[in-house]
Amino acid sequence: MIAMRLKIDESILLNVEKPAKYTGNEWNMVKKDPDDVKVRFAFCFPDDYEIGMSHLGMKILYHIMNKREDTYCERAFAPWTDMEEKLRERNIPLYTLETYTPLSEFDFVGFTLQYEMSYTNILNMLDLGGIPIFANDRKKGMPFVIAGGPCAVNPEPLADFIDLFVIGEGEEVINEIIDEYIAWKDAGEERDGFLKRASRIEGVYVPSLYNVYYYEDGTIMDILPVSPDVPDTVRRRIVKNLDSVDFPDDIIVPYIGTVHDRIMLEVFRGCIRGCRFCQAGFIYRPVRERSHEKLSELAKSSVEKTGYEEISLVSLSTSDYSALPELCDNLIEFTEAEKVSLSLPSLRVDNFSLGLMEKVSKVRKSGLTFAPEAGTQRLRDVINKGITTEDLIASVKLAVAGGWTQVKLYFMIGLPTETIEDVEGIANLGITLIESCRELPGEYNKSLNITLSTSCFVPKPFTPFQWEPMDDIESLMNKQYHLKDRIKKRTRKIKYNYHDARLSFLEAVLARGDRKIGKVIYTAWQKGCKFDGWDEFFSFEKWMEAFSECGLDPKFYANRRRDYTEVLPWDHIDMGISKEFLKKESEKAYEGDLTKNCAVGCSLCGAQGYKTGICIKSKRG
Amino acid sequence: MAKTLRFRFSRGEGLKYIAHLDMLRLFERAIKRAQLPVAYTQGFNPRQKIVFGLPMSIGLTSDSEYADIELAEDMDPDAFVETMNKYLPDGIRVDKAVEHTAKDNIMNQITAARYEIIFETNRPMSHFEIDSHVHDFLGKEEIVVSKKTKKGMRPVNIRPLIYSLSAYKKDISVFVLEAFLSAGKENNLRADLLLEAFCHEFGIEARVISIHRKALYASTYNEWKNPFEVSHD
Repeated sequence: MIAMRLKIDESILLNVEKPAKYTGNEWNMVKKDPDDVKVRFAFCFPDDYEIGMSHLGMKILYHIMNKREDTYCERAFAPWTDMEEKLRERNIPLYTLETYTPLSEFDFVGFTLQYEMSYTNILNMLDLGGIPIFANDRKKGMPFVIAGGPCAVNPEPLADFIDLFVIGEGEEVINEIIDEYIAWKDAGEERDGFLKRASRIEGVYVPSLYNVYYYEDGTIMDILPVSPDVPDTVRRRIVKNLDSVDFPDDIIVPYIGTVHDRIMLEVFRGCIRGCRFCQAGFIYRPVRERSHEKLSELAKSSVEKTGYEEISLVSLSTSDYSALPELCDNLIEFTEAEKVSLSLPSLRVDNFSLGLMEKVSKVRKSGLTFAPEAGTQRLRDVINKGITTEDLIASVKLAVAGGWTQVKLYFMIGLPTETIEDVEGIANLGITLIESCRELPGEYNKSLNITLSTSCFVPKPFTPFQWEPMDDIESLMNKQYHLKDRIKKRTRKIKYNYHDARLSFLEAVLARGDRKIGKVIYTAWQKGCKFDGWDEFFSFEKWMEAFSECGLDPKFYANRRRDYTEVLPWDHIDMGISKEFLKKESEKAYEGDLTKNCAVGCSLCGAQGYKTGICIKSKRG
Repeated sequence: MAKTLRFRFSRGEGLKYIAHLDMLRLFERAIKRAQLPVAYTQGFNPRQKIVFGLPMSIGLTSDSEYADIELAEDMDPDAFVETMNKYLPDGIRVDKAVEHTAKDNIMNQITAARYEIIFETNRPMSHFEIDSHVHDFLGKEEIVVSKKTKKGMRPVNIRPLIYSLSAYKKDISVFVLEAFLSAGKENNLRADLLLEAFCHEFGIEARVISIHRKALYASTYNEWKNPFEVSHD
């Protein structure tokens, strides 16, 4: 087959915003002859280029797949509405930036599932790419649609659209999938044959090979494989040793500014903390570190190969990195010499980190961010957020005395067991911080400005709160207004921001939805929903119409308490975290009982079964 | 060997959709990749000492853009050209560099630009018709357009900024305007704005096919000069 290159001319590109999002050819873009490879993979990010090009996972998999001589991985993003209009007007299919090839011509079309509110964009991109939206409408010769990423831990809402999911980390399993694909192609089997073969790879979930049975009340009775050669459960894949897998240093350098337009060094995966609301804290266990030597090497080679002027350390809680002082010493020396700036997000504020930030902060001291997550000690204990008001006061005083006068505090409202005192506690905490800074000497005592931000708690699969009802929209909104009012009456030094509760409600439905939700996503998309994560496009009304047309009640998914004995839509996915442990954590939450972090001791969450990382370092007990 | 260099580069079709500030960043990163001994500004946020002649807007291709770069150590201009080209993306080529010693930098020296604007109209015209439009256009004493200035949108008379203008026909409804326009820090007239004013004047609806910058000039003693000729005082 001769590869066809679409022509996108100036009559389109001069009439859309930021046309460089659609032209590719960036520095380090991989160039191959499509006729020279056996497998063509279109890696799709279901959001705008500026968001997608900031995503580290895509860079890693792009690099890993393109290292194979037999495979060409290319990129596609959700076109902004102005571009979509032009493409549809002229019947031009959505194409990849590398070779301007329509998505429908690929062997694989892969989506990364970073947030639930991007699901309608997946449907839209398939449609724009000329691929049937429903998996069972795809015929011989059409691409296999594959998806992975954090939202794949509950793949069910997308089960109708995706041929196969990758559960867990992709670096190794993607190679196994490609090998199996080549073997399948060489064997000349039917489409189903590949899905059957793939389902036997650990970490691959093929939804069409499982049937879901429901009770009359809408809850699930059972999820069963269609035949005995399909595994009952799909176990999450992880990379045992991060130093052993490739990490890209030749990342693509976009021409236009992106959200994270810098080198991102992934310091470690996982988090030792185990905050009970936090899905990332459970689904990436166990903590596995990259060595600081390897990271320093990567920093240098990345700057050489990209010319980037900024490096950022990436992880869930960078302060927990065991070799942080060594790494920072090395990086500071190198970045200063090379006029590269170093940013250290997600650091806990203490003497060490402030000293560090003092050293690396070339720009003016702007803001510091803290995430107490709840306003009272009681509720912080419920969510296992092991910080105290005293810790916070001490940290904020340190920060203010060091010249950081803008402090942002993140909270959640609607957490399990929350009372009105906890909500008011958020305002009180802000006021306590301002008052305690008055004790500081001289110039700093009145300079503190605080921004309080609340998001709405969304219960997520594979957390101890996976059985919890989400707070109602109305109740969340009342709490937001109450808090706003409370703050306004007490002080002018605090700014308050909050999230749209309706968007969080929908996120909650999609996060814990079952297969029936697929119909709703499809209906909402048909009604024109896309870019739902963007305020200017989000239409709550259209989504609610979609639910009612499909005869489904969103509250059944968002606001219902599940029994511990209920079969959950994601029960056939084995994340390596035991349900027993999550249940115990949920019970401890109600007692306000803290669980120690992985560095202090093991709580036998199940991740020890992977026999790697912190699990083989920390003591049991 | 020189410490401050003036270089000329071109931008082709492949990279014409990049905005001016993105072009600056593109050069900064290429220079970093090339590990050239560029000088940095002092202070908290060190920036490379590089100055560009005239901004390039989205859609513009060019044969002759200029920039001045200050280095921390002496470098041979030809070696500079060779190294830069290894680290610049396809679509941008540096073709020449010379020593720069003049007091003024390139941004202060540029005063005029020559453009070739290709556009398609909604109705066919004869070459006489387009010629007479150009004639009438140039015959006007005032051509007032709304132009973005530092103080917001202002009505500006662009007639004095048009030094010469001619047109020819390329296809039944495709035309080429050759324009020589005032450019630079003061009194810059963008080619797309000129085309807009021209079409507005004669009720033509046009779609830009391409805008190409053919040359930039500096002026000294009422003479147009190639910017390389004014790199020394």
